[in-house]
Amino acid sequence: MEAIIDALPYLWEGIKVTAYVFVFAIILGFIIGLIMALFRLSPIWILNWIAKIFIDAIRGTPILVQLFFFYFGLNSFDFISLDRETAGIITVAINAGAYFAEIIRAGIQSMDKGQTEAARSLGLSGTQNMRYIILPQAFRRMLPTFTNQAIISLKDTSLLSVIGIADLTQQGQVVIAATFKAFEIWLVVGVMYFIMIYLLSLLSSYLERRFELR
Amino acid sequence: MTMIEVKNLKKSFGELEVLKDISVDVKESEVVCVIGASGSGKSTFLRCLNRLEDITDGRVIIDGNDITDKKADINKIRQEVGMVFQQFNLFPHKTVMENIILAPMKARGVTKEAAKNKAKELLAKVGLSDKAESYPNSLSGGQKQRVAIARALAMNPKIMLFDEPTSALDPEMVGDVLEVMKQLAVEGMTMVVVTHEMGFAREVSDRVLFIDHGLIVEENEPNELFSNPKNDRTQSFLSKVL
Ligand SMILES: Nc1ncnc2c1ncn2[C@@H]1O[C@H](COP(=O)(O)OP(=O)(O)OP(=O)(O)O)[C@@H](O)[C@H]1O
Ligand SMILES: [Mg+2]
Repeated sequence: MEAIIDALPYLWEGIKVTAYVFVFAIILGFIIGLIMALFRLSPIWILNWIAKIFIDAIRGTPILVQLFFFYFGLNSFDFISLDRETAGIITVAINAGAYFAEIIRAGIQSMDKGQTEAARSLGLSGTQNMRYIILPQAFRRMLPTFTNQAIISLKDTSLLSVIGIADLTQQGQVVIAATFKAFEIWLVVGVMYFIMIYLLSLLSSYLERRFELR
Repeated sequence: MTMIEVKNLKKSFGELEVLKDISVDVKESEVVCVIGASGSGKSTFLRCLNRLEDITDGRVIIDGNDITDKKADINKIRQEVGMVFQQFNLFPHKTVMENIILAPMKARGVTKEAAKNKAKELLAKVGLSDKAESYPNSLSGGQKQRVAIARALAMNPKIMLFDEPTSALDPEMVGDVLEVMKQLAVEGMTMVVVTHEMGFAREVSDRVLFIDHGLIVEENEPNELFSNPKNDRTQSFLSKVL
């Protein structure tokens, strides 16, 4: 018990890093996903292809390989120097982005065609239709799937410890190296991840209620 | 003055030729009803008038603007052509008021204030002043369709297109919607109405087009067409629906 209490300040530092990396990655990932989804649906074939290749490449390779590619691979060029956090955030963001892209694309495609027809018949442009009619409705519908992906991404951040980012997992390892209390510390680390994920799903159900489709 | 000019309009979906050479003019303030069997191409014809369907061949000229011209500013032209759908297609995430003011504000650049005033006027006209802050899903079908009409009218269109506006309604709701449309006709709106309501066609329209397999096989003023159909297929269609 004492070992756990002594470990808490260290683990708390780790939680802060995990939260920071996660928040940045998920916001960036959402933006990437939205852009890629719109590319994917675009009639311009080159945009379409860019999105398709991006999505397939990311979904078809392990995230650990992507992490090594961004951190060690890119850093092997003289003119690139990514620090750990940046490489970590980029990896998780791009990974989330590829999945978000498919979620958003499916959400947009599942919208009733009549909505677009009504909007366009009123003289709204394609962009205005997306912005005011399609996306607001599609996002509400997608919220549960978004949450799922966000939870996966949060768990993915624990992989970043392998390149030495001082996240919760890494901090757990550091504490264990000093105390040899593997059982207690991994249990506590697990509980802490569980609490973060629980809070995330609470936030999601709040948003779902807040933006309920009337 | 001619508001709608359709010249040799053809429309195919892949191999399927749905409209096979349609030519017709609609004058200002004229009310034209389009009747015909299911699958004959009525909706497709109507949707070509605001280019919701890509036009395969021929020309459609709306108030002097050729919408088949690639350079035509279709968004601008559509602002002048209101459309009312069988399934209403209201925006469920927006209140009735927001449904009505969106396009005037975003497409026409009207101020929120002015758009709201106009919306209130239109809601009063369709008998739904008390529903401004409701969401569409809390309305009955008839109320939804009247909101959809108000939404289209908020753009001050020169032409209104209706695609079976009462077909999805419970019978007791049909009258309210037809009443609003009748009022519009009286006020001089140019209207093209695809409908199965033969009573409405007879009473309100200036001309009826009977479409069969993608062709206008007969057109006439309603009394003549309904009492004295010349074409065999018109006769057989009318004998089924009247
Ligand atoms: N987007 C489309 N793709 C392929 N075929 C289509 C499409 N839209 C319509 N059609 C076909 O075109 C034909 C005419 O359809 P349309 O909807 O214009 O008929 P309609 O006269 O309005 O019929 P209804 O009274 O049932 O509404 C039908 O055979 C239909 O299956
Ligand atoms: Mg139809």
